[in-house]
This record gives sequence, C-alpha cells and structure tokens, in this order.
Amino acid sequence: MNPTPKRLSFKAMGSFCEIQLVDESRIRAKNVSKQLAGEVARLEQKYSRFRDDSFLSEINCSAGNKLGLAIDDETQALFDHALNCFEQSDGLFDITAGALNQIWDFRKALVPSQAQIDAALAHIGLNKISCKDSHIHLPRGMQIDFGGIVKEYAADSVARLARSLGVEHGLVNLGGDFSVIGPQPENKPWTVGISSPISESSIIAKIDLSKGGLASSGDYERFFMHEGKRYSHILNPMTGYPSAGLRAVSIAANLCSVAGSVATIAMLKNEAEAKVWLDDSGLGYVYMDSEGVIADAGLNSRELDET
Amino acid sequence: MKNIASRNIIALSSTALALPGIALADAPPTQSTLSYKLSNYQEDDLSRSEAPFGELDRYDIDVHQFQLVSPLGRNMSLHVDANYESLSGASPWFTSRGLDGKPIVNLSGASGISDRRSELSVGSRYYLQNGSVAGNIGYSEENDYRATYFGLNGERHFNNDLTTVSAGLSYSSDDIFPTDATEFNRVLEEDKQSTSLFVSVSQIINQLSSFQSALSFTEQSGFLSDPYKLRDIRPDDKTQIAWSNSYRRFFVSANAALHVNYRYYHDDFGISSHTSDLSWHQNLGRTFQFVPLLRYYNQSAADFFTNVDDFLTPTSEYQSSDYRLSSFGAVSGGFSLIADMGSWKASLTAERYLANDKYSAFDVSEPSTALVKYNRLSLGIDFRF
Repeated sequence: MNPTPKRLSFKAMGSFCEIQLVDESRIRAKNVSKQLAGEVARLEQKYSRFRDDSFLSEINCSAGNKLGLAIDDETQALFDHALNCFEQSDGLFDITAGALNQIWDFRKALVPSQAQIDAALAHIGLNKISCKDSHIHLPRGMQIDFGGIVKEYAADSVARLARSLGVEHGLVNLGGDFSVIGPQPENKPWTVGISSPISESSIIAKIDLSKGGLASSGDYERFFMHEGKRYSHILNPMTGYPSAGLRAVSIAANLCSVAGSVATIAMLKNEAEAKVWLDDSGLGYVYMDSEGVIADAGLNSRELDET
Repeated sequence: MKNIASRNIIALSSTALALPGIALADAPPTQSTLSYKLSNYQEDDLSRSEAPFGELDRYDIDVHQFQLVSPLGRNMSLHVDANYESLSGASPWFTSRGLDGKPIVNLSGASGISDRRSELSVGSRYYLQNGSVAGNIGYSEENDYRATYFGLNGERHFNNDLTTVSAGLSYSSDDIFPTDATEFNRVLEEDKQSTSLFVSVSQIINQLSSFQSALSFTEQSGFLSDPYKLRDIRPDDKTQIAWSNSYRRFFVSANAALHVNYRYYHDDFGISSHTSDLSWHQNLGRTFQFVPLLRYYNQSAADFFTNVDDFLTPTSEYQSSDYRLSSFGAVSGGFSLIADMGSWKASLTAERYLANDKYSAFDVSEPSTALVKYNRLSLGIDFRF
C-alpha cells in the first residue's frame, strides 16, 4: 500500500501553488514541503517587481547609474537565460517589455495612442543592456522583469531541492508551471489538467507527466475587446501591440524553464509561425488557436470525457 | 528549418541548465540497487561429420552475476560486483584433415572440461560539480587462471552538460597454470599483462537523440597462446585498437527508441572486424519494454591462422587453428523483455548466435570447421531500496 500524496497549497508569485509529495513519513513530507515553499518565497522576495525591497527593484532603481550594479551568480544566470530567449526568438521574448504594460490598461480596455507606444518602445530592447562579469548596466528609463522566467525557474529549483532532500515522488505546481520531482510510486505518472483559455474551470487536455516539466502560456481571460478586435495581455515588444496568435499553449520539456520559454515565444509569434515553431521544437505540446481549435502532439494526453 | 528550431531549443536548454537552482551535473545514487542475473550460454554440439572422433559436447556455461550499487555519503557511490561461472563441455583441441581431405575438429578430453570461475570487484565513484572520477580493483580466479586488475576513469561535462568527455585506463596481470600440464606436455606456468586506455565523447544532439564515439587502445604482452591446444603458437605482443560509435533516437509518436551501434576493431595479429547492431526499445505502457535486437559481425583471419594444424613446421613459427582467429561472419538475433515495477525490475533476454565462414565479407581462404552456434538465455532481477 502506498501512502497518498501529502499536499501543501500556498499563494506565491501571484498564483495558486501546490506541492505534492509522497513519503512514507507524513511528518517528513510536511517538513520538506515547508522547506520547498521557503525556496519559492526566497525567489519571490528576490525577484518580485511588486516589492520595493526586492533585488529586482534595486536593479531597476539602478537604471542610468554609470557604475552599474553588482549582481550575484543566480541573477547573472537568469539574465543569461533571458538574453538567450531574446536571441532565439529574434527579440520577441524581451524582459524589458514591461514599459508596454504601463500604457496598455486592460481594466479600462483602452488602446493607447501611437505616440504613447513609440515612447514606450524607445525604452525596450534587452540588447541595450550590458550584463557581464557580475555587473548590470541599465540605461536610464529601462526596466527589467523576470516575471516570464522566474516562476518556471522556481518550479525546477524546488524540484531539484526536493530530490536532494531525498524525495522520490512528487510534483511541484506553481500557478500552472509544473516540475516533476519524481513519478508517483510504482512509476505512475502525474496527471496534469490544462485549463481552457476561455474558462479556467474547464479542462482542454489531461497530460501524463513522469519527468521534466510542463508550462503554459495563454491569454487566459486577460484580454479585452475593442471595436470588435481582441487584445491579449501578451504584448509584442517589436510592434508595441498585443500579439494576435494562439490563444493558449502548453509545452512539456526536460525542464519547466525550457517549456516556459518555448511556450512564451510561441504565444508571441503569429499563428502560422507559432505552429511551425512548435512542430520544429520536437517537444510535446497542446494549443488552442484563434479559431478555438485544439491540437496536440507528442504528449501523453488523455481522452477527455464528453460533457 | 527544422534544424534551426531544434537548435533554438538546445540553446534555450543550455542557459536553463546553467541556472544555479537546477545545475547539478552528475548526481550520486540516492538509493541502493541490488541486482542478480543468471545467464546460460550453450554452444550447439558438433555433428559427427565435423568431429568424427571423440567428444561432441561443446561449452555449456552458467553465469551468476551479483551487483550492489549504493550511496556512500553525499558525493560518493560504492559498486560491488561478484560473478560466479560454472563451465562444462569441451573445446577444440586440434584440427586435422579427414579422409576426404576436409579439416575436422578434435575436441579436448574424453570427459571434457569442468571449471569454475569466481570474480570480485570493488569500486567507488566520486561526484564533482561537473563530472566524476572513479576507480576499481578486482580479482578473478579459476583452477588454471588468476587475474588481478584495476581501473581508473573520469568524466567531465561541458557545454552545459550537452557534451561529456571521459577517459580511463585499466591494467590487468594474469597468471596461467594449465591443469594436467606434465601429462599433456603443456606449459607449466605463464603470465600476461594487459594495459588499456580509452577516450570517449558523448553529445546530446537534442532531447530526442544522442551520439557517442569512443576510441580504445589495448596492449597485451606475455603468453597469448592457448595452452590447451596441441599446437598453438602466437606472438608475445598484441596491440588492439577499437573505435565504437553509438546513436540513439527516441520517436515520440512510437514511444520507442532506436539504438544503432557500430564498432571497428583491428589488431596486429591481422584481425580486423566490423560489428553493427540495431535494437528497437519499445515501451509498452508504463511497466513493460520489449527490445528486439539484430547484430552482424564480420572479421578477417589472423595472419597465422590455419584450419588444419601442421605439426611439421618448426615451433618457431606462429600458428593457430583457434576458430576465433579465422575469417568468419556471425549473425545474432534476440529480444529482451523488461518489466519495471518501481522498486523491482525484472528482465528476460534470449539470443541466438550463428557463426559461419560464408557470412564473412573478408577473404575466406581457410574456413574454420569449429565455428560456434549458441543460445544465450538470461534472467535478471533488480531491487532498489
């Protein structure tokens, strides 16, 4: 008889998070999951753009400082990964694109003027930032946001920490970014449900995961209609306008961090290019396109019950 | 186009793997594994036309293998291997010409051979940030043979773990003291030494495929002949080189992996060989895996091979009728069935091997009549705890 998974749910990084562990000792499982939640809290504290005392805020405050700011290895590695994403996506995945968020107000559902967009674009472009030898130099007016990377990284980091603490069976879910610690006992995979971008309470696919990670990106209810046009919250840093490609995509990869980057880039591309990008990636995926058509490949997805 | 995108994914993986919370190149085992494997190797008996006189029963070998792999502290692992073999049957003693002029085989001993071999090896691996180093020592003993050996190797990961380079060396010192030596005028006691060096590079091409290439050199010196053959005189030195390549690719739609291996071998006895094999690792549900395998082997003869022993040439000349030194080809086919039930894992392997001079792509001027056909059956059980 195998013990049932011990679940620890908490709120972090603006999302619902859950860590499931299977351990013969429920006390040990509880202690370990607390340590794991602590790792998520550490990364949130360090990289949150909503906290004035985060290290990220310190980086953004240093914009325009000629001497730059000293950064640690972890931040350097995150920056290197962000720059890699920027290069591999020909500039679509850009952690400096935050300036666009300030002019696109999704609550008021207003389209900004072209002059506003041009002003914001002047402060966007990761290639304008120098970050090497543990020093970052942010030009005046520019900001970075690791929001598109840190949650996936945290999921992988927590999974690795769990394995190093001797956990063999477990799953980390940080707001829909999944990283497998190890399969369920008897090598059974974890089943992950993927929400529909139309309604988060309905599921478009169920996927079996035994290792690696799964990440999703989509316009999940965060879009608005203006003069008959749909504007998603995913903003294209080249045009300054929301991207109008796929509605949602989920990717499985060896790491949640890789899955997340591939998914974000897919969402930023136009629909036709996104489909080619996904097919050529060799990774397992499921997406919903602008017509509401769901397609998948290379995933252990389950048939959904007809409802 | 396809390659460009795949390269993108590899590039993205490279920086993701470098993130400090994720990077941990090589991990020591966190669990102990105890394995046992029983193999039976049975050579087909010779027919009366191949060996008109004496014994027809060839080797029948049972092998028991035990292995323990266990964590040793935080950064080390312990490996203990113990093997026990029991062998019975007969091996070719000498070849001669039959009444029709064709070579015939004469197997050794009226009652055949019966022997046991015991082997123990102990090793440890130490895991570093970007690789590992390992060493092992071992001892093997049978009633006419003794071997003491050690090995050292290390591996290092580069290019964000996508590339692994490993290298190692091993040394073995063997003593041979044939049974019934005085009775059959065999050598009383001899020895040989072997030194081996290898380097290997493995490259993860993308998350669905990988490639490995390895080069090894082995230098043997000492008594390299077969003391049980009536006439078997080989050089005292032998240099061997082997180049092995392996390609693996996983097919998502089939839920299976293809393994393709090729090995080239050459030694200064004059033997060159090519080995190619293909295996298909089909996952069946979450528990089972079925693996059919096909192998083709092909070698040239040693410079001094003869299919009929010539007792008139002076003993200063090299000569051997050992079928393993002849030009021949071999095909073998088989399958493995593996069941993985979490802490238990069981495997069953069956293989049929057929050697024939007609299968050789090399020149076969002197075919050996003693080539083997065998069946191998093995059953293994692993327990993780």
